Amino acid sequence: MIDNGFPLTTEPSILKEMIAPPNLVSKMLSVVTGNASNVSDTLPSGAGSCVPWRPTDPKYSSNEVYVDLVEEMDAIVNRDGELVKCEIYGEVQMNSQLTGFPDLTLSFANPSILEDMRFHPCVRYRPWESHQVLSFVPPDGEFKLMSYRVKKLKNTPVYVKPQITSDSGTCRISVLVGIRSDPGKTIESITLSFQLPHCVSSADLSSNHGTVTILSNKTCTWTIGRIPKDKTPCLSGTLALEPGLERLHVFPTFKLGFKIMGIALSGLRIEKLDLQTIPPRLYKGFRAQTRAGEFDVRL
Amino acid sequence: MTIGIDVSSVFGEMVMCSATSDIVLKKMCYLYVGNYAKGNPDLSLLTINFLQRDCKDEDPMIRGLALRSLCSLRVPNLVEYLVGPLGSGLKDNNSYVRTIAVTGVLKLYHISPSTCIDADFPATLKSLMLHDSDAQVVANCLSALQEIWSLEASHSEEACREKESLLSKPVIYYFLNRIKEFNEWAQCLILELAVKYVPSDSNDIFDIMNLLEDRLQHANGAVVLATVKVFLQLTLSMTDVHQQVYERIKSPLLTLVSSGSPEQSYAILSHLHLLVVRAPFIFAADYKHFYCQYNEPSYVKKLKLEMLTAVANESNTYEIVTELCEYAANVDIAIARESIRAVGKIALQQYDVNAIVDRLLQFLEMEKDYVTAETLVLVKDLLRKYPQWSHDCISVVGGISSKNIQEPKAKAALIWMLGEYAQDMSDAPYVLENLIENWEEEHSAEVRLHLLTAAMKCFFKRAPETQKALGTALAAGIADFHQDVHDRALFYYRVLQYDVHVAERVVSPPKQAVSVFADTQSSEIKDRVFDEFNSLSVIYQKPSYMFTDKEHRGPFEFSDEVGNISITPEASSDIVPAQQYEANDKDLLLGIDEKDENKGVSNNNGSAYTAPSLESSSNITSQMQELAISGPATSATTPQSFGFDDLFGLGLSTAPAPTPSPPLLKLNARAALDPGAFQQKWRQLPISLTQECSVNPQGIAALTVPQSLIKHMQSHSIHCIASGGQSPNFKFFFFAQKESEPSNYLTECIINTSSAKAQIKVKADEQSTCQAFTTVFETALSKFVSLTFDFVSLCY
Repeated sequence: MIDNGFPLTTEPSILKEMIAPPNLVSKMLSVVTGNASNVSDTLPSGAGSCVPWRPTDPKYSSNEVYVDLVEEMDAIVNRDGELVKCEIYGEVQMNSQLTGFPDLTLSFANPSILEDMRFHPCVRYRPWESHQVLSFVPPDGEFKLMSYRVKKLKNTPVYVKPQITSDSGTCRISVLVGIRSDPGKTIESITLSFQLPHCVSSADLSSNHGTVTILSNKTCTWTIGRIPKDKTPCLSGTLALEPGLERLHVFPTFKLGFKIMGIALSGLRIEKLDLQTIPPRLYKGFRAQTRAGEFDVRL
Repeated sequence: MTIGIDVSSVFGEMVMCSATSDIVLKKMCYLYVGNYAKGNPDLSLLTINFLQRDCKDEDPMIRGLALRSLCSLRVPNLVEYLVGPLGSGLKDNNSYVRTIAVTGVLKLYHISPSTCIDADFPATLKSLMLHDSDAQVVANCLSALQEIWSLEASHSEEACREKESLLSKPVIYYFLNRIKEFNEWAQCLILELAVKYVPSDSNDIFDIMNLLEDRLQHANGAVVLATVKVFLQLTLSMTDVHQQVYERIKSPLLTLVSSGSPEQSYAILSHLHLLVVRAPFIFAADYKHFYCQYNEPSYVKKLKLEMLTAVANESNTYEIVTELCEYAANVDIAIARESIRAVGKIALQQYDVNAIVDRLLQFLEMEKDYVTAETLVLVKDLLRKYPQWSHDCISVVGGISSKNIQEPKAKAALIWMLGEYAQDMSDAPYVLENLIENWEEEHSAEVRLHLLTAAMKCFFKRAPETQKALGTALAAGIADFHQDVHDRALFYYRVLQYDVHVAERVVSPPKQAVSVFADTQSSEIKDRVFDEFNSLSVIYQKPSYMFTDKEHRGPFEFSDEVGNISITPEASSDIVPAQQYEANDKDLLLGIDEKDENKGVSNNNGSAYTAPSLESSSNITSQMQELAISGPATSATTPQSFGFDDLFGLGLSTAPAPTPSPPLLKLNARAALDPGAFQQKWRQLPISLTQECSVNPQGIAALTVPQSLIKHMQSHSIHCIASGGQSPNFKFFFFAQKESEPSNYLTECIINTSSAKAQIKVKADEQSTCQAFTTVFETALSKFVSLTFDFVSLCY
């Protein structure tokens, strides 16, 4: 909301109160009653409070609070198979549906591994400085509590070993994918995609596991899924170069995708979540998930 | 709102409609009224009634809405109806209404400043700003007051004082202590204010930094950047703390780069680039953050490559170059080119380039045309800096067939190497001969110019083999339709005709290696951009005055001083002759070696000029004392160039030995007059004399900044009270006082540097001596020329 070029409020929770986002119930209501507006006719009460991100006194019959650790692994593996760069960008996402004015404290088992943290405005700075605990009055609904980085990881859960040999106009390519270090949970939805160089005129690729698709824009995607126990997935085939070219000079970069549910690869663990006043029928839930962010394997 | 259809004809009906109790309908009506009131000033009087009534409604939402609409009418003859509702709105017990009333005051100010000031709204806003409990009200007050006072400041001293008071210690601390209550937008506003605050001592600085420490961990990137700016500006004077600040801000900024959208990464990377240029060491250990990821857009990759070049030092060069070499085989051709250039840049910065040269030579073996092209240009630059590598490079370069190279720049580079190292490459004359035979097919004039020069150089080294080719080249060159090619061919031809040995000395003199390639951006510009940290200037890599119109510059900008930055005397004195020589050399792309000779001559001239000023040093001490006395007045007008310009003054008043007959009028060297008194006198006195005189064009050429003339006139006891303008028009107000009695001479002097004319208007207390003063003034002005020469001698 802007008045004379100056924003009146930038707080999402207040904006939502002023103009309710459309949902199924409001749509139904507008059809039935003929009142087609989502604009509220009262002033949001949180606008003047000292915790502007929280609407005053939301009421829930069952109190629920969920904490999700979502991590993304960014890595670069260079031509010699060395891990050039590997770091994790993580977020603590929360969904809180709590009655009244709850005061929460979230603590980690190993906060020292965190590199650089950024907090939602609701997080109090001093408790973090002194004890590395997050003390805050949460906004209502879903929000991002903090984000962090963990640097200098030594290992990736999955390895990719591409090989390419070219001779007199054709290239032989073979890519092996396997588990390097078992994280303890299944690694799911493994995919490998790469752009074929412009000078490749046709490609014939096949794999012993999963499916390979080549799109018209020369993007090749190999969907592996889970890695089977009995064999190592392998992609192999030949690339025909454009006439006149002996060898391949431009090499593709492989982008790896994967997802691991139930574990944060950085090793970050949530110790406990405390509420100052415990409301009736409280349910606390914790989840963790790691997926590949920008994971490049160069050839 | 109405799909572009003009629905102003139903204005009357809409006004009637506004009496509704349905809030959504009311909002629509208000929106309509706000949109069309400007076009129907007469009808909008009708709306006043119900808007005023709604301003007293029970519901704060309606009160606020009505007040906002009332202020948004923007009809000048209705402002009288605004004052009352605004006054009560500012005192409303609901913060929402107060917030809107504060913005309303600003709207009122823009419609009618006098009404706003007369109602004493600024003072009300100020007390509201310092005492209101609601953060949003306070933030709005701050932005409204900033706007009002900076617009008022130009003609009201009180507003000027008030504007200053926003930057006083209690106000700043008041805001910083409350900063957590504000929303992100307002936090940025406060941080911008804090940047302008001048701390009293180092404790003050540390207090502010402690207060703002946690802002660096805010989730909002704008808040983080604004905080970084405060930290950097506060500690500018404390070198060691400044370094610690770099360490502290490093990781928040790096996180901002890796999280978020590519656009955000780009903006932050631009800022990092600025920082890394100022302090290369800070990211030396974090270079891996600037490795390019495959999926990033090209603009981010390009900036990352620049970062990698900037952070490269002895410890990480190997890794960075290895990484860059991987990009050379990248699918993205533009990035592949950039990365090769980056390798070259690193090679030119580094002392130990052994390994890098090997890599570059490996690029040549990749047999990709664009890789080869880029590499050739780089190898050429490397050879100019490190001639000792010629052996390795030439053996590889010699193997490249010129037929495979199409790009003019690469071709030119190859031809230059053929000419320069003709004695080491056995087939150089024949390659050149081949190229010359295809003269007609060569479309780039640059390549043809290089062919001419290379043929000449080759001829001096291996005359029998090249003679025929040179003949063909000169004939083709003289017949060439391109003027430069034609001229150069003709010049070579004639100089050869005159004397072959002279020709050799002109075209192919022994060269010394280039030590530093000229920087494209002056350090002044960089400093300026640094001052505008956290703005678009950083993204564009140029200060705001270069890309904004004068009328769009912010109220805090002092437009006149802006234009001068790059051409202050200090700036030019920084450029030592050697660097100019190299800059020249680079521009001309090595071909025109005769320039070197010219340069040499002008160098000699330069040193010839220094001699007299050294001889006159005995006089300097006495002059120095004299100047030291007039010092305070000088420093008040132009503090930044004081020390340096003094030297001019000295050289100048001693150097011209045959001074014309002593001035008839003795002027007081320590005359003083305050601007107010000057203005008053200027209004009161009649013009006693108007004159136009021409100024020596050589002198005027040096008048790139008003300060140079001001200094000069000061040495003649004529003081400047105000100056302005930009090349070619400058305007000065001077004053002088008779030595014995307090009789003033006021002068307005308009100088046009392109026509070298000066217009002088003189007003004097004493009409009788007016003519004498004008003579003194003109004599002083005409001597302005000698200053340039002293200036030149100081440069060289």
